[in-house]
Amino acid sequence: MFKVIKSGLESSIQDWPGRIGHFNKGFPPSGPMDSWSFRLANLLVGNSSDDAGIECQFIGPELRFLEDSVIAITGADMQPKIDGKPCAMWESILIKTGQTIEMSYATSGARSYLAVAGGLLADVSLGSRATFDAAGIGGVDGHALKDGQEIKSGTHRDRIFGQRLLTESRPKISTNCIWEIEVVAGPNDDWIDQEGHERFLNSEWKVSAKSNRMGMRLEGPDWTFSEKAFTKLPENGSEPANIIDQGYPIGAINLAGQTPIILLNDGPSMGGFINPYTVPQCSMWKLGQARPGEIFEFKVISVSEAQEKARQIKLLCSDKSLVR
Amino acid sequence: MIYDTPKFSPGGDRYILIEFGNEMNLDLNFKGQNLAHALEDGAIEGVIESAPCFATTLVHYEPEIISYNDLKKQLSLLMESLGSSENIEVDSRLFYFPTFYLDPWTEECINDYRKNINGDKEQDPEFVSRINELTDVNQLVRVHSGTEYWAASLGFWPGLAFMMPLDPRCRLTAPKYNPPRTWTPQGAVSMGGMSTAIYPVASPGGYQLFGRTPVPIWDRELRFPEFDGDFCIFRPGDRIKFMPCGLEEYEEIDRKVAEGSYKFNIVDYQKFSVSNYKRWVSTLDTSARF
Repeated sequence: MFKVIKSGLESSIQDWPGRIGHFNKGFPPSGPMDSWSFRLANLLVGNSSDDAGIECQFIGPELRFLEDSVIAITGADMQPKIDGKPCAMWESILIKTGQTIEMSYATSGARSYLAVAGGLLADVSLGSRATFDAAGIGGVDGHALKDGQEIKSGTHRDRIFGQRLLTESRPKISTNCIWEIEVVAGPNDDWIDQEGHERFLNSEWKVSAKSNRMGMRLEGPDWTFSEKAFTKLPENGSEPANIIDQGYPIGAINLAGQTPIILLNDGPSMGGFINPYTVPQCSMWKLGQARPGEIFEFKVISVSEAQEKARQIKLLCSDKSLVR
Repeated sequence: MIYDTPKFSPGGDRYILIEFGNEMNLDLNFKGQNLAHALEDGAIEGVIESAPCFATTLVHYEPEIISYNDLKKQLSLLMESLGSSENIEVDSRLFYFPTFYLDPWTEECINDYRKNINGDKEQDPEFVSRINELTDVNQLVRVHSGTEYWAASLGFWPGLAFMMPLDPRCRLTAPKYNPPRTWTPQGAVSMGGMSTAIYPVASPGGYQLFGRTPVPIWDRELRFPEFDGDFCIFRPGDRIKFMPCGLEEYEEIDRKVAEGSYKFNIVDYQKFSVSNYKRWVSTLDTSARF
């Protein structure tokens, strides 16, 4: 159990893969934006992959532990300290009763993950503890952490601290502000003309400050459309990027008028704009770690290449990556 | 048109979008719903969930269990095995929603958008009236409230129903906001494309706004028995009728909702018959307006 002294910037309880099975009622999966780092944090403390942990965004929380616990911090470097002394990341560590872990701002990357052995106990809503803050579902009372809350963790069989990871099993968070983001063409790629595709793939896209767990807005050149976008029936809506409302994949690059918005873990499940490209699961972690003002360059890969990359990450999130 | 064979396209590595046609009609929606029901019953191993909408169904799958190409093949076979929707009769609840059209709150939201995002945006009721060649905003209210709406699917936001007008004389179309709004008032009554929606809570959005209902469609606290233990009141296949009301009635209902005593006006004894509906539509002069 720990007490939230300072909550940080919308730190929230998440689990992976989140709230699955309610998409047809409009519930997004939620869950950690960088699920790679999140899974490694659970792995380090000996949790199962679906145990709940904390996602910290840009500025981390300050937590006082009310019992001896084994924890691990992964993801962005928020300069974590225990009772004022820097503590290791990417490693399971023992924190004693009464000690305080203090996280500051992220020096690179955007999101840190904190796992506690035994997993965090919080409201299970529609099968998941993941917080969907905007609708008040999951987490603690449906929302991000608040100062003064006490969060319990489950009991754990044995205390495994001092576990580390092979360096190559960790995601490489960009330090030069440029990210190569893999995309798969579709589902609505045939609404964009050839020049539009080339412009998308050859331009630099800047991450807008108007981004959150629902969507990441990108700034870049205008889009151009194929004939299909102009000869469609009126029920699509008359703007070229308008389409009859349809399901939105998580990771879809949603063309809202001329503004591309990458739909993230808390994003809308349906809507009436086209999705010319989709970011596959293997690259979603990069979206979780990118900061406003950083640059995206997109690279097309095939469905099977994307699936293979997701398999590789899954392997890296297994016992094989642990070093004692 | 309805395609002879459905069109498949990938959405990243875990989704496939199936498009049954490129228009909005009841047959396409039934195709999507029937496929979704079959998938829910476990028709294809490796399918995690699906989200049907007007003319499409999005399927979420586990690529470690089924490959994209195998899924495509199995979905084609499954769709061929599902019967036509011609003679379907389904239970369909009818909801009456008191609605304050041309209300001050959505007007304030539009003005805020004009001030902060796009100064050229015409007021939504005037804009929708003009592009649909209606006389004025009062006719917009008559036409929009002149039909029952069919809840085709739930999505965008928890509990939001995408609704299509059942009476072809009340079809209206409109583009979606460019760029979308960052906020919309809870209960806003709106449309985009040919679809109508009520915003369950204050949220971003892209539909044109012209009314507001005080009746909740999302109940996080499970206060109202009509939700039957669910956070969302609507199910696909429900019908909704908007009932124009004034400020006084709006405020009275709003008060009852706040204290938890509001009684929903729901009719639950009717069946919706696709063949009867089509027969009726065939007798109408669809170019007429109310």
